[in-house]
Amino acid sequence: MQQSLLSLFLILSGIIILVFILVYLSSIQSQPQQGMKNPLQKRFWFITIMVVVLGMFFFITIPKSPYYLYANEQPARIVHTVSSQFVFLMSNQDIDPAQPMGENIELNTNELVEFRVTSLDVTHGFGIYNDKYELVAQTQAMPGYVNKLRWKFSEPGKYYILCLEYCGSGHQVMKSFFNVK
Amino acid sequence: METKKLNKITALWIVAILVLFILSIILGIIMRLNQGELIKIQPPTFYADMTTHGVTMIGIWFVAGMAAVNYFMERYVKTSYTANMFAMVMTVIGVVMLWLSTLVGNFHAGWTFLYPLPFKIMWSTWATPLFLWSIGVFGIGWFVWTISLMAAMLKKYSMSQVLAWQHFGKKDPEVSTPPFVLISMISLIGVLTCLIAAVILLILLFAEYYSGGTFKNDALLIKNLTYFFGHTIANEMLYLGLAVIYELFPEVSGRPKLKTTWYVALAWNLTLFFVLAAFFHHLYMDFVQPEGLQIIGQLASYLASLPSSGVTVFSIIVVVFRNKINWSLTNSLFFIGIVGWVVGGVGAVIDATISNNFILHNTLWVPAHFHTYNAMGNVLFSLGFFHWFSKYATNHSLPDKYSFVKLAILIIGGVGFLLAFYIAGADSVPRRYSTYPKGLESAKTLAAVGGVFAIVYLTGILSFFVNISKRCLNVLFQRS
Ligand code: HEM
Ligand SMILES: [Cu+2]
Repeated sequence: MQQSLLSLFLILSGIIILVFILVYLSSIQSQPQQGMKNPLQKRFWFITIMVVVLGMFFFITIPKSPYYLYANEQPARIVHTVSSQFVFLMSNQDIDPAQPMGENIELNTNELVEFRVTSLDVTHGFGIYNDKYELVAQTQAMPGYVNKLRWKFSEPGKYYILCLEYCGSGHQVMKSFFNVK
Repeated sequence: METKKLNKITALWIVAILVLFILSIILGIIMRLNQGELIKIQPPTFYADMTTHGVTMIGIWFVAGMAAVNYFMERYVKTSYTANMFAMVMTVIGVVMLWLSTLVGNFHAGWTFLYPLPFKIMWSTWATPLFLWSIGVFGIGWFVWTISLMAAMLKKYSMSQVLAWQHFGKKDPEVSTPPFVLISMISLIGVLTCLIAAVILLILLFAEYYSGGTFKNDALLIKNLTYFFGHTIANEMLYLGLAVIYELFPEVSGRPKLKTTWYVALAWNLTLFFVLAAFFHHLYMDFVQPEGLQIIGQLASYLASLPSSGVTVFSIIVVVFRNKINWSLTNSLFFIGIVGWVVGGVGAVIDATISNNFILHNTLWVPAHFHTYNAMGNVLFSLGFFHWFSKYATNHSLPDKYSFVKLAILIIGGVGFLLAFYIAGADSVPRRYSTYPKGLESAKTLAAVGGVFAIVYLTGILSFFVNISKRCLNVLFQRS
């Protein structure tokens, strides 16, 4: 997915750069000032096309927002997650903030999991990476709030949690994992 | 103010900004080389370096936009030397406080100093208040400058004229608002709004800091305020640069001045609102934020791109397309800067889509796109102005030498540096990591490559710095 976004970006950038090069070249060919014919009309069409394209993107992507993922299903598993500088604790039970304890987490493929993510100190980021270290899903871990992230894992394997919000000098080592059977 | 005073203070801004820019680029290169494991610094040092780099860069490119706008504003209205000087003094004091807090005090909560991180002290205890006060000092100086410029405009134009409302539905109104005045006002209103947010933010943080634990803030509210301030100032500084381009691009290109038309007026009035609502895209991954605000975030981010591309970029294209242009270093920098701005905008719109943000948020995609419209956009806008000013104020009319080589170095360095960020972002590499964990295979190599290209970019900047600062120093130390 990220790679296709990169391709989209590179293609669009390439087109933009090409257009600007052509515009530049048109200005150095020594001809009398010709200018653009009917610029207002062209501008109108350009904006119309932009509105249509962006509008389409908007209506296609909004329903895919993570807030609506599996919103009408009952989760089969709840994973409580508590983060603090610089560890993640995960448990099948509620975690007591006074005595936070985690346990090993094993999930099944294609079952709906709800991660309930919070923090005991500063804001952290709960980023789920697959075993090829591709980011597959994330939410923030904010003190005083519980973010609920629903996800189904289609591939079995080891998944890593990396911190995706800068949380201090140990941010880059803040890491955990769970398994999907 | 008198021309001589205006020239001197503008020259002083330019030299100060360029010196701080070079130092901050070096901090940036150190970060990239450390991530590439070509050099080794401790994580707290890395993050203090990152915090210094971030705040300094935002600060200098903001004041660069302000100084340029102030310079050209004098063509239309009388501006205040005192306010400009006051902003200069406060900026210098602020930078000293900032650098003391980060480089000596080792404060390293990042340029967004997201609550409650500044209060989880992992550095000298005095560094937290010093850092927060440095932001306060910048805020006061810039607030006064902003108000003073707005007041100067409102002495000549009424509020509705300065916003060009008389252009709606009328072809040639009696008073025509120059686009420069319109865009400056729109940007200054945005600046004022975000500085007010910064003041509220600082008051809330100080309230907690000095309450001795009796007052606690709400993390979500503070995050909203933080990004309302941070996102908005980072965007408005680009618009300040665009105001200058509207003024200067046709002039140095030998084309007629751009005029305000109904669609230019409409586009910029709308931009004001879109930009102020777009910051919500920084909170997409906070699922507890009300859903309506998330959707407004994506809508506003998309909408903000319409007036910019359909009106501003299109206008520049109309100026250039099939018209003979006196290409010089100044308008080449502007032209390339517009490309950088648009390309960075594409990266931003991709990331401002909630379903994409889910897998791009806080990866290196984020520094990738904001460095595109800063290092290859806004910096080039300002550099174009600096170069033009340094020649104009010293009556220097010789043609520019080695322009092509200088631009080529800047572009090669910039593109390589940015591509390394984009590719790493698409490879899921997190941002703000001093070093990368084992599994992220490409991260280290890309960082080293990005660092080397950044050195090339720095070389390009140095070549500009030498000539511009030499001429600016002449302006500064001119007697008569
Ligand atoms: C070639 C010049 C530059 C280099 C080498 C450079 C390098 C870097 C690096 C390595 C980072 C940290 C990336 C990470 O999250 O891992 C960074 C962050 C940042 N840079 Fe730059 N940068 C340059 C130019 C600029 C410019 C022109 C701006 C102007 C606004 C800027 C603003 C920032 C900001 C705001 C951050 C975020 C700091 C934070 O996360 O707290 N940089 N830069
Ligand atoms: Cu972290």
